[in-house]
Amino acid sequence: MKKHTFILRNFLLNLLSFLSLGLLVLLWIVGSSGEASILPSPYEVWTKFLALSEDPIAGMSMLGHSLQSLRRVFVGLLAATVVGIPLGTMIGWSERFRAIFQPVFEIIRPIPPLAWVPLISIWCGVFEFSKYILVFIGTFSAIVVNTYAGVNLANRDNIAVGRMFGARGVRLITDIVFPSALPSIMAGLKTALTTGWGVVLAAEMISANYGLGMLVTRGSDSNDIQLVLVAMLLIGLIGALMSTAFTILERRLSPWRTDLN
Amino acid sequence: MADRFKLSVKNLSKAFVTKKDDTLVIDDISMDVRENEFLVILGPGQCGKTVLLNMVAGLLKPTLGEIYMDGEKVSGLDKRVRMVFQKLALLPWLTVSKNVQIGMKYAKVPKEQRERVAQHYIDLVGLQGFERSYPHQLSGGMKQRVGIARAYASAPEVLLMDEPFGQLDAQTRYSMEDEILKIWDKDKRTILFVTNNIEEAVYLADRIVLLSKRPAKVKDVFDLTGLPRPRDNLSEEFLRIRQEIADQMDLDLGQ
Amino acid sequence: MNTNQEKLTKAIARERKHIKNKSRNLLFTSIISIVVLLALWELSVQLGWITTRFFCAPSEVLNALIEKLTNRAPDGATLPVHILSSMKISMIGFLMAVLIGTPLGLLMGWYKPVDKFIRPAFNLIRPIPAVGWIPLMIVLLGIGLAPKVFIVFLSAFVAVVLNSYAGIKLTNRAMINVSKTCGASNFTIFRRVGIPSAMPMVFTGWKVGLGLSWSTLVAAEMLASNDGLGYMILAGRQFMRVNLIMVGMLTIGVIGLILFALLNWLEK
Repeated sequence: MKKHTFILRNFLLNLLSFLSLGLLVLLWIVGSSGEASILPSPYEVWTKFLALSEDPIAGMSMLGHSLQSLRRVFVGLLAATVVGIPLGTMIGWSERFRAIFQPVFEIIRPIPPLAWVPLISIWCGVFEFSKYILVFIGTFSAIVVNTYAGVNLANRDNIAVGRMFGARGVRLITDIVFPSALPSIMAGLKTALTTGWGVVLAAEMISANYGLGMLVTRGSDSNDIQLVLVAMLLIGLIGALMSTAFTILERRLSPWRTDLN
Repeated sequence: MADRFKLSVKNLSKAFVTKKDDTLVIDDISMDVRENEFLVILGPGQCGKTVLLNMVAGLLKPTLGEIYMDGEKVSGLDKRVRMVFQKLALLPWLTVSKNVQIGMKYAKVPKEQRERVAQHYIDLVGLQGFERSYPHQLSGGMKQRVGIARAYASAPEVLLMDEPFGQLDAQTRYSMEDEILKIWDKDKRTILFVTNNIEEAVYLADRIVLLSKRPAKVKDVFDLTGLPRPRDNLSEEFLRIRQEIADQMDLDLGQ
Repeated sequence: MNTNQEKLTKAIARERKHIKNKSRNLLFTSIISIVVLLALWELSVQLGWITTRFFCAPSEVLNALIEKLTNRAPDGATLPVHILSSMKISMIGFLMAVLIGTPLGLLMGWYKPVDKFIRPAFNLIRPIPAVGWIPLMIVLLGIGLAPKVFIVFLSAFVAVVLNSYAGIKLTNRAMINVSKTCGASNFTIFRRVGIPSAMPMVFTGWKVGLGLSWSTLVAAEMLASNDGLGYMILAGRQFMRVNLIMVGMLTIGVIGLILFALLNWLEK
C-alpha cells in the first residue's frame, strides 16, 4: 500500500514536469497564432531551421556559424586558463605576489567584460583578435579569483602531509596544493565557460561577420524573427551541452571527488 | 650527554605570537627518547601535545630550544622523522598505494622498488586488496592503517603519532592498539605516540611522559618497561598504574 | 630558570617585530605597485610612447570626467544623466528579480511539486545568455524601457533563483525533524526554520545577480539605447574619443563597486 502511494506520487510529480513544458509550448502556439502576431510558431521556426541548411547565411551553414562562435570561446578561454591559473596560484600562495598584483586586479575586476568592447575595438580592430581578447577579459577574473581562493584555502593538513613526506617548492604546489584547490578551480572554469559564451554572443551581436550572435542581429535587422529564434535556441542548446559536457568531464577526471554525485 | 639517546628535546618552548598578544603553549620542555622505544606523551586535550609533536617533526619552528637526533642538532624537516597524522590526512586524490608511496616518491626511490615496499607495508597493516581504492572508500580504521603504512614506508628512524586513534570508535581503537604493537614488534622503530587517553597510554608505552595543561610542562615520567606485554587492562597492576597517573593528570577544562 | 624566562621574552619580542615589519612591507608593496602602474601609464602617454588615439593618460581621464559632468557633447547627455538612466533600469530589473526570484527559489527548494512544475521551463530558458534576448524583446515589448528592464531582470533572476534554491536545500534535517515533532505545520517550518537558514545563500544570490544585472545592462545599452553609460562608451567609440570611453568604464566600475558595498552593508 505504502509503496503504491509512493509510485503514484512520483508519477504525478513527473506529470507536472510534462505539464509545465506542455503549457510553455501551448503558450508559444497561442502567442504566435492570429494574423496580427509577430511571433512565429514553433512549426515555422523548425521549417526555418531546415531551410537554413539549404540556404546559408553569409556563405556559412548553421553548423559553421556555431563552430565559429565556439572557436572564439575556446581560444579566449584557453588563453585565460593558461595565464589565469598560474597567476591565481601565485597570488594565492605567495603573500608578496598577492601584495603586488591583488590591488591592480581588484581595480580592473569590477568593470564588466562588455564595457571593454569599445576600447578593445579601437585597440584591436573589430575582427577575430578583439573577440578573443573580450572572451579573455570576461573569463580571466573568474578563473583567477577561484584559483586564488582554492589555493589560499587549500587544506592545511594536506600541505603538512606534503611537507612531511618531502614535497618541496614547485612540487609542493603542483602535487599537493593544486589538487587540493582543484574543486574551486574547476568551479571557476565552469563559470568562465558560461560567461565566455555570453560574452562571445554579445560581442558578435555588436559587430561580427559570422557567428550565432551575428545571426541574432541579422535576424532582428531584417525583421526575420524566425531567424532570431533559431539562433537563440541554438545558443541555448549549445550552452546547455557545454555545461553538461564539462560536468561529465570533471567527474571523469577526478574519480576521488565525492561532492560531484 | 645527548648522544646516548636517539632523540632529545632540550628546553623547548613555543609561543604563538600575533601583533597584539602572545600565547605560551609549550613551556620549557625537555625529554630524551631511547632507540626503538615506545614513548607515549600523555596530556589533557588542547594542552599543546600536537604543537610539541609538530616541532619535533620540523613542521613548526620552536620559539626557543633545540632538538637533537643521534646527538646532532636538527632544525626543520628531517627525512629520518615521519608522522602519522591525527586527522587521517590521506591525500584524497591518490589511491591507497600511491598514498603509501608518497614519501619514497620524493626520496626518488625507483618506481619498482617503491611499489614493492608499499605492497609490503600494505600487507603488514592488512589492507591487501585495497591498493587501488581511494581514501573516501575506506572506513576510519582502514584510513588510519594507510596512514601508518605511509609513515613506515618512507623508512624513518623516528615515528611520530599524533592521537592516531582519537577519532575511531572504542572497538576499532582496541584492535588498532594491538595492531600497532604487533607492527612495532615486527619492525622496530623509535615511536613518539601522543594521546589524551590514560588507558591507551598505559596499554602501549615503554615510558609515559605526562604533560600539564596549557602551557604544557613535563609533570612526571613513568617507566612501564617492567609491565610485560600483552598487557591486561583489567589486571591489578594495570589499574594501579592507571590510577596513579589519573591522580596526577590535570583536568581537561577544554572539554 | 630565570634566564630562560628572559630569553623567551626576548624571542617573542623579536618575532613580534618581524611580524609587524612584514605586514608593513606588504602594505608598502601594494601601494608602490599601484603608484608605479599609474605613473607608467601617465608617462607612457606624456612621453609619446603610445599614441593618444589609442590611449589617454590618467590625468586626462580625470579632466574628461570633470568636463563630462556638465558637458553634453558629443553624445547628447551629461554624465549624471547617463548614470541616472542606467541606475533606473538596473534597479527596477534587479529589484523585480529579487522580489520574484527569491520566493520562487525558496518555494522550489521546499515544495517538490513547485520544483517539478517550474524547473523544466527554467532549465530551458537558463542556458540562453540574457543578451541574446534583446532583439526578441524589442520585437515583443517595443523600444524603450521595457526590453532593457526585462533583460536585466532575466540575468539577475537566474542567479537569485538558483542560490535561494540551494540555500533552502541546505536546511538542517535535524532542525526540521525537531520542529515536526513539536507539531509545527510544514508551512510554519518553511517560514521559521527554512527561510532563516537559507538567508546567507539568498544574499549570495542577490550579490551575484547584482553583478550580472549591472554588466548585462551595459551590453543592453550598447545594443539598444540612446542614453545610459553603455550607450555613452559606444558613442565614445564612434567619435573616437578614448577619454570618454575610459571615463565611462571607470564610472561603470565604481558604481558596480558601490552597489556591491551597499548590499554587503545591508547583509550585516
